[in-house]
Amino acid sequence: MLSTFHGLETVRRGMTAQQQALYVTGHNIANANTPGYSRQRVNFEQTPPYPFASKNRPVVPGQMGTGVEGGTVQRMREEFLDVQYRGENMKYGYWNTRAEALYKMEEIMNEPSDEGLAKTLDRFWQSLQDLAVNPSNSGARSVVRQRGMAVAETFHYLSSSLKSIRDDIKNELDVTVKAVNSLARQLNDLNKQISEVEVHGYLPNDLYDERNRLLDELSQYVNVKVTPVPSGGSALKIAEGRFTVELVDRTGSTVIGTLVDGRLGKVNEFQVTYQDNVAKTGPIVSFSLGDASFSTFERLKENGKVGALLYSYGYSEDGGTTTRGLYPEMLGDLNAMAKAFADQFNTVHSNGWSVAEIKNNATSPSTKPFFTYDPADPAGTLDIAQIIKDSLDNIAASASGQIGDGSNAQALAEVKNGMMNIAGNTTTIQNFYESLIGQMAVNAQEAKRLSQNSEVLRQSVDERRMAVSSVSLDEEMMNMMKFQHAYNASARMITMIDQMLDKIINNMGIVGR
Amino acid sequence: MRVTQMMLANNTLRNVSKSYDKLGTYQQQLATGKKIHRPSEDPVVAMKGMHYRTSLTEIEQFQRNLSEAYTWMENSESALGHTTSVLQRARELVVQAKNGTLGPEDRQAIAREIEQLKKDLVQVANTKVAGKYIFNGTKIEQAPVTDGTPPTVNNNNDDFMVEVAKGVKLKINVTPNNVFNQGLFNTLQQIENELANPTGNLDNLLSQLDGHINDVLAERAELGARVNRLELVEQRLSEQQLIAKRMISDNEDADIEKIITELKSQESVHRAALSVGARIIQPTLVDFLR
Repeated sequence: MLSTFHGLETVRRGMTAQQQALYVTGHNIANANTPGYSRQRVNFEQTPPYPFASKNRPVVPGQMGTGVEGGTVQRMREEFLDVQYRGENMKYGYWNTRAEALYKMEEIMNEPSDEGLAKTLDRFWQSLQDLAVNPSNSGARSVVRQRGMAVAETFHYLSSSLKSIRDDIKNELDVTVKAVNSLARQLNDLNKQISEVEVHGYLPNDLYDERNRLLDELSQYVNVKVTPVPSGGSALKIAEGRFTVELVDRTGSTVIGTLVDGRLGKVNEFQVTYQDNVAKTGPIVSFSLGDASFSTFERLKENGKVGALLYSYGYSEDGGTTTRGLYPEMLGDLNAMAKAFADQFNTVHSNGWSVAEIKNNATSPSTKPFFTYDPADPAGTLDIAQIIKDSLDNIAASASGQIGDGSNAQALAEVKNGMMNIAGNTTTIQNFYESLIGQMAVNAQEAKRLSQNSEVLRQSVDERRMAVSSVSLDEEMMNMMKFQHAYNASARMITMIDQMLDKIINNMGIVGR
Repeated sequence: MRVTQMMLANNTLRNVSKSYDKLGTYQQQLATGKKIHRPSEDPVVAMKGMHYRTSLTEIEQFQRNLSEAYTWMENSESALGHTTSVLQRARELVVQAKNGTLGPEDRQAIAREIEQLKKDLVQVANTKVAGKYIFNGTKIEQAPVTDGTPPTVNNNNDDFMVEVAKGVKLKINVTPNNVFNQGLFNTLQQIENELANPTGNLDNLLSQLDGHINDVLAERAELGARVNRLELVEQRLSEQQLIAKRMISDNEDADIEKIITELKSQESVHRAALSVGARIIQPTLVDFLR
């Protein structure tokens, strides 16, 4: 026998559930523009039918439905797309940062232009040609000295600008490392909060969203691998649990170590160590994650923003003897170039006769440098020798000991086009510099192209993710109508039951009254 | 696929900003007239650009060297021309003096004129161009001939070389000893001495003088041939300069017509993107529900 009020309870449940769905719709609309928000829905579940199948069941014809209840509020999200997004975001982080580093380098080198090093060397060559034609002219000598200074100053400028950008990159790397660790701590806190909610059988959707947002942010810095750990207790099957976040190399196949341990609720900090770790100078010689330390950098190669900054700033796998990386290599090449040029120039200069030597009736030309530099940093310290600064008569233009002979000036001009050994390559200074610029340009072009490519890929994954998760106002309006109508209909049902009851209570058994 | 308002808005924004980026590139190209403004936009163009610029600088420098070479050669040539006429005049005087009808006074007068001609040649041998003695090899700061009786020659016979093209060096002076040698001044001095002597004999000296005239003519011919060579080099350099400039232009300069056309079409694409953007932000169901 069914209860008289059975129907009232059924529709009351209907009204409550539709109302709940309407409020979730309201929540979705309110968060339509919240970054990282995933739309939510109420999972309607039918309540158990009456009567239960048991020996002492009341005898009624078949099981009657008892209405609906809002089971869980779940967010619409595709985990697989999150994994894809994080992978593309990591690549974008790497290539974009690398492209920016190379962009700045290109601006400093400023080639091809009428102001770059190539032009300065050309002008120096010109002044030497002029001296070769007018060997006795002190005006031509003075131009040689000034243009020589311009060459030295251009080397200084390039060297000091590259160093200052390199320092900027170091600062950015420090900030990035801090950001990684801060994100790791936030993720760890969220893990705790999430598991505390989940064990009570709830789904902390908004905390999930926040955790996904933090993981997205982390993934641009370094490649991560996420493994869920169930919270236990009365956690639902669809609960996401705590996340263990591991740092992996760019392919995802080699694990570097655990950043956030979901099981133990512990954070292992990521750190980089400089050669001089107190003053924070010199190349990076190792990096560590918690207690594990690594002195090879293969696993950070092409790995997010951290990898790009590390490979731009420079690292050393042998404790600081050889430094590799974009900026140190460019500085090293400039140093090699400045050194080779100055050495060769000085040798040729020493073979010639200066005006002073001719006047003093010297028997043979003596060793006299034109350029000086500190071997520790040739490009940064290249300068005109003091004797040349003191007197123009110390410039050696003559090869024969006659004032009118300009053939040594000619030979000095030829240094620019002569073969010399620069950093192990037999080449001319002109060709070496051209190939340096060419290499930089090709690197920058590649970085720019791949940065654009990875941005497009990231965008397309994000689009697919939004197709699943983002709020569509039209859809919410449709849902609103749907739920409102169902709510109204339930209310109408109550009115109908009320009339039914009114009939039996007030209008029955009054025959003959 | 589910498409939401947020996705449309994001796409519109991205496309409009891409379009601005392209417009910016065209604007840069039109404003600078250059195809690229940083090497990464086209590494090959950048490297070629550096190379061509250096070539052009070299060619322009060689042209500057050429003008110095011309100054030397032209001055040498005019000096040699003057020398020839001076020696011709001396020859005429000697032939005149050999005429036995001349008295001692006449011979004296001719001797005075020869002396003046000799002094003139000393000055020619000591010609200075821009403060440099051009008939003294590479010892350009010293006069090669000191006036006297006879004038003494102490000259340097090194070649004064100037690079006029990559690896091509040209001698721009004449070898002083071929022209202004001690023999020449000795001959003139002897002529003067013999003329002062009423019984002096001029026969041998006339043939010596002829020999010197021939030497000067030979040196002039050689110099003329070198000037011709210099002219050829100049022609070639100006052709090379033209080629180098064209290479730089072909390599780096933006094709203005093409870019303006592309800019125009990009403009219309941009307008379309904006208008589509305005249309795409459509009324939602909200506007129709009441």
